[in-house]
Amino acid sequence: MPLDTSTTYPLTRLRLDGRRWNELRLLQAQISTNPASSGSSYLSMGNTAIMCSVHGPAEGRRGEASGTAGSSGAVVEVDVNIAGFAGVDRRRRAGGSDKQSSRIATTLRSAFQSHLHTYLYPHSTISIHVSVLSADGSLLAAAINACTLALVDAGIPMPGLLCGCTAGMSGSASTPRDPRSDELDPLLDLSLPEEQELPQLTVGTTTSVPVGENNMDEEEGETKVAVLNMDSKLHCTYIETMLAVGMDGCNQIRELLEGVIKDSSRA
Amino acid sequence: MKSLRRDFSSNPQAANVTSKVFVRSTKSGKVQKIVRELYLRQDIPCSSKLCSICPSIAPADANGNIAPFVLSDRPAGTKAFPRGHYLVPDTNALLNGMDLFEHTGAFFDVVILQTVLEELRNQSLPLYNRLLSLIKTDEKRFYLFFNEFRLETHVRRGPEESINDRNDRAVRTVASWYGEHLRESAAKKGKKEKSVPAIVVITDDKENLRKSKEENVTALSLSDYVAGLEDSEKLLDMISEAREARDAKGARGELFYPEYYSMSKLMTGLRAGNLHQGVFNVSPYNYLEGSVNVAAFDKPLLILGRDNSNRAIAGDVVVIEVLPKDQWKSPSTKLVDEEAVTRNDNPDTEETEAVVSDRERKALQDEVKKAHSNRSDGKPQPTAHVVGVIKRGWRQYVGHVDSNSTGSQAASGRRQQNVFVLPMDKRVPKIRVRTRQAGDLLGQRILVTIDSWDRDSRYPTGHFIRSLGELETKGAETEALLLEYDVQYKPFPKAVLDCLPSEGHDWKVPASKEDKGWTGRRDLRDLIVCSIDPPGCQDIDDALHARRLPNGNFEVGVHIADVSHFVKPNNAMDLEASVRGTSVYLVDKRIDMLPHLLGTDLCSLKPYVERYAFSVIWELTPHGEIVSSDFTKSVIRSREAFSYEQAQLRIDDPSQKDELTESMRHLLHFSKIFKQKRYDAGALNLASPEVRIEAGDEAGDPLTDVKTKAMLATNSLVEEFMLLANISVASKVFNSFSQTALLRRHATPPPQNFEELINQLSKKRNMELDVSSSGALANSLDRCVDPKNPFFNTLVRILATRCMTSAEYFCAGAHAESEFRHYGLASPIYTHFTSPIRRYADLLVHRQLASAIGYEGEDGHAVAEGVSTRGKLEDICRNINFRHRNAQFAGRASIEYYVGQALKARGEKMAAGGDNTGVDEEGYVMRVFENGVVVFVPRFGIEGVVRLEDFVLPGESGVYSAAERREFAVHRTTEFDNEEYTLRVEEKGHPEKERGVTVELFQRVQVNVSSVKEEGRAAGKRRVRILITGSTDK
Repeated sequence: MPLDTSTTYPLTRLRLDGRRWNELRLLQAQISTNPASSGSSYLSMGNTAIMCSVHGPAEGRRGEASGTAGSSGAVVEVDVNIAGFAGVDRRRRAGGSDKQSSRIATTLRSAFQSHLHTYLYPHSTISIHVSVLSADGSLLAAAINACTLALVDAGIPMPGLLCGCTAGMSGSASTPRDPRSDELDPLLDLSLPEEQELPQLTVGTTTSVPVGENNMDEEEGETKVAVLNMDSKLHCTYIETMLAVGMDGCNQIRELLEGVIKDSSRA
Repeated sequence: MKSLRRDFSSNPQAANVTSKVFVRSTKSGKVQKIVRELYLRQDIPCSSKLCSICPSIAPADANGNIAPFVLSDRPAGTKAFPRGHYLVPDTNALLNGMDLFEHTGAFFDVVILQTVLEELRNQSLPLYNRLLSLIKTDEKRFYLFFNEFRLETHVRRGPEESINDRNDRAVRTVASWYGEHLRESAAKKGKKEKSVPAIVVITDDKENLRKSKEENVTALSLSDYVAGLEDSEKLLDMISEAREARDAKGARGELFYPEYYSMSKLMTGLRAGNLHQGVFNVSPYNYLEGSVNVAAFDKPLLILGRDNSNRAIAGDVVVIEVLPKDQWKSPSTKLVDEEAVTRNDNPDTEETEAVVSDRERKALQDEVKKAHSNRSDGKPQPTAHVVGVIKRGWRQYVGHVDSNSTGSQAASGRRQQNVFVLPMDKRVPKIRVRTRQAGDLLGQRILVTIDSWDRDSRYPTGHFIRSLGELETKGAETEALLLEYDVQYKPFPKAVLDCLPSEGHDWKVPASKEDKGWTGRRDLRDLIVCSIDPPGCQDIDDALHARRLPNGNFEVGVHIADVSHFVKPNNAMDLEASVRGTSVYLVDKRIDMLPHLLGTDLCSLKPYVERYAFSVIWELTPHGEIVSSDFTKSVIRSREAFSYEQAQLRIDDPSQKDELTESMRHLLHFSKIFKQKRYDAGALNLASPEVRIEAGDEAGDPLTDVKTKAMLATNSLVEEFMLLANISVASKVFNSFSQTALLRRHATPPPQNFEELINQLSKKRNMELDVSSSGALANSLDRCVDPKNPFFNTLVRILATRCMTSAEYFCAGAHAESEFRHYGLASPIYTHFTSPIRRYADLLVHRQLASAIGYEGEDGHAVAEGVSTRGKLEDICRNINFRHRNAQFAGRASIEYYVGQALKARGEKMAAGGDNTGVDEEGYVMRVFENGVVVFVPRFGIEGVVRLEDFVLPGESGVYSAAERREFAVHRTTEFDNEEYTLRVEEKGHPEKERGVTVELFQRVQVNVSSVKEEGRAAGKRRVRILITGSTDK
């Protein structure tokens, strides 16, 4: 059995994969990987690898999306497929989606539905397909980032890049923090073994206007939290610290994603 | 379409990312391949105070702290390493010598590698935990170096390389890197290379040693290294024998025991129901008879003989297979003592022995015969044999060296030799230990541990840890007791003491009611409260009051020390208390759960001072009906602390008419009502053979200190109100926390537990025992009276108590509500609330109750937090149940030891006067075996085995010397009647029929109690010997 974070982290301040508390995993991404779609991306955060393609905006399908739906703007559809070989155990599913993938899909849909400037495309549908090729923690965060890249590739307008990141808390996080000692051990960007062991929070942030070279304003647009998701039990006194760490991680990821977009436009 | 393969060339960071691939198999037999990323880095410090490079790169954690460097700049050295050394142990060194690494006199400045830690965890979880706690202590300077993450020391497994070889290579790589790194840093400082300490790899792997030599890495085997230390002889014994023994014997290939089934076979068998899992118990009267309780059978399965128990030791979790029906036997009716049977085994030779030695076989065969002969009316029980061990319950055992097993040159020679260590716990087989100091260890209480028990060894192999001191010295025996029952007796660490209030003994209840300490507290200082406890009690948990209300009803209050005010959840003191679980009371020593300051002063409800309390206040009608109950945190001032006797005198004295006495009279009145109600509801009045030791003056006869516990009405006064408070609190807490309330239950014992006793009573006394309910049992126990034998009733109660299960703590979610019942108290719900100073359970219940009544604490935090998760609570329950049981055992063992010592002291005094050295007392026969009986002596609260030679036959001269009596054993014959529970002892071939003694169950006999040294072994241990000198009733 390998070691675990709760025993060794307090001793060495090193995580299971050799990272420090505030380090992201190696993030690599490409866009326009699939010419057949309107926009596509491939993104890997550590061993989590996600492929995403966007179709649309296209005319809404008749029947299901008829009537009032989409009359004020485009409808975002998200479909998440976690490959049977993505996890440690090979899963054979008869088809359809499991609980985990449909939860990710729901979160992604509501995040991007409100994030994208959908009012520009009434009566149309933007469909996003997310394929998880390998799952090693922070799935939702990686999926958010992959979708953002694919949507940028598809040229769908949005106020800023929506970036996701996870934050965890090492130590006894189910009991209230001791007010006398202010030592907290937050961790950034959890991998799967950490995720199974520690409480974690997924944060997705965006900026109100695109930042970067083209931004003439000296002061950067303020960061907004667009997605916040937590499935584990945690005492409320820790949330603030985790949120701060997660948002900081999102900012790091934003810079990386911007780099990816710029590189591909140069190429 | 673009290729999606990871392209690392463009990303400079990616160069440092590698991955670790390993394969593991799950419990269900699946094989998983795990791929994990590794981020190699260069900012992992070497943590040497000599280093000038690392301090600049050592990174800070989330709170901006940089871990202090651990390894000393002046490391200890040996003759071979005059400049000092840092040790880098390999896994096998830790496996073989963990006790050495824990030794306080050697092994400083040790670098523990991640590789090693991980490997150790796979091999042995207990050792891993011990190593972790070593790393956490500062004095030993152990540094955990994550070598796998450091770029320079990361090692990739080669294509043909075994994992073991790779790990060994990793250790060597680290050693050479450390050497280079330190030289480099010394060079930077401009120092000479000479001042750099040596890096010494410690490994017991020969291949590793060889390769180290090739690669110019200093490596030593553990024993070679230890040999270079001072005090090496003592230290060498602490190396585990397991590995060495296996190497030596592998070739011989003589196997005594059947092999265990493979894990997957065990799992399949368990699932299919062919095999059963349970905890292995050993009979205290017969070391060859074990039993395992499994769910599928209502009676425990018997495991007879060494080959069936197959290397299982009492406490192991084993898997067993039921034997075919023709091998079923009835439980043993014979006393078999390991020491007597295997007295002459030689620890060095093994070749000539079979697993079951001839003598053992004979002992067993007699029983088989018995079982077969009366098969028709006897009750053969299912038997089983052990086929696998799931978890070893091995711990450290206290024992002494069997002087017979040491060689003749023992005292002088320094030669290493095998000796047997006889554990104090009779259920544990003797342990073979290799030692160089056999001569010194004779006559010492020593601590040993079991390393292994291989198929080719008749006895388990272990190693010596340390000596506790000379046998029979007070210090050694007390420590032995504490170790044997796993009582934490070390002084409280600083972290715990830091949690105490800074005011120390000067702490006072704040004078101003504005103070935050008063928030949520009721002022009950004007109530006439008093406490009643055993004489000399310092940790006063509880105090009481009663007063008449204007409406004719009574207000009765129980006030319990408010420990939860001082012990906050999850701080060091709380964790320590939860580990200790309970205070342990020995005859001359008390091991506290909480530091002295709290237990005997700040929490203790001492008289005449104000103290914080947690109060339960009832309004009662004059007939004892509860009108209302109220729970509140409070401040009280106790008016007086009485002992039971004092209180009784005061109540009985008609001239005392003051408020305090009146209050106590009211309490006494109500307690009688409650007691009657309880018995009406079916509560049991149980008995346990308890005596109390009152330490008197040194000069007098020490035996007069041994007193049977007297029950005064005031004892029962306090007890009744504590029961009432516990029951009231239990239902209150359960209402608020339906899943996590900490409660106490006493399960209804299954009727088959009583079968034997019912049978015995009906045969011998024509009495009936109705066990259909606790009420019925209570009534039928009341009827078990022998007018000629007043103690008989108590004896039956003691026996009945042993048929029951023990009460346990549990958390409410773990059982259905109908299972909450406390059988003995006949209460539907129960918990412990009234002794938070000495029991952790009560402290938890205090927190839960505080939260249930909405008490917010000084700083507005709800105090029940931290026990709100069920999983954690269940862990705590398991621990406190275990501690509670052990504390009781330790207390009893302590009394037993004291009685033995008192008898010895008396014996010595008498012997000087040429008198008989024993004490004549009355005893009662509790059990009858084929070759002896068990007699209970109420005067001393002890029970003892009486062997054949210890029966004094009529007409025999009173020879009391144990040595002389031993000769008698071979001349005696017995007639044993298993159905009638009688044993007749006669002298072989003696013409006169009258020269015989017949004893039967429950009989009152005259006994002579003395303490004798087991003869035939110079440093033998002492035991209490009971001689039957005659019978009083027939």
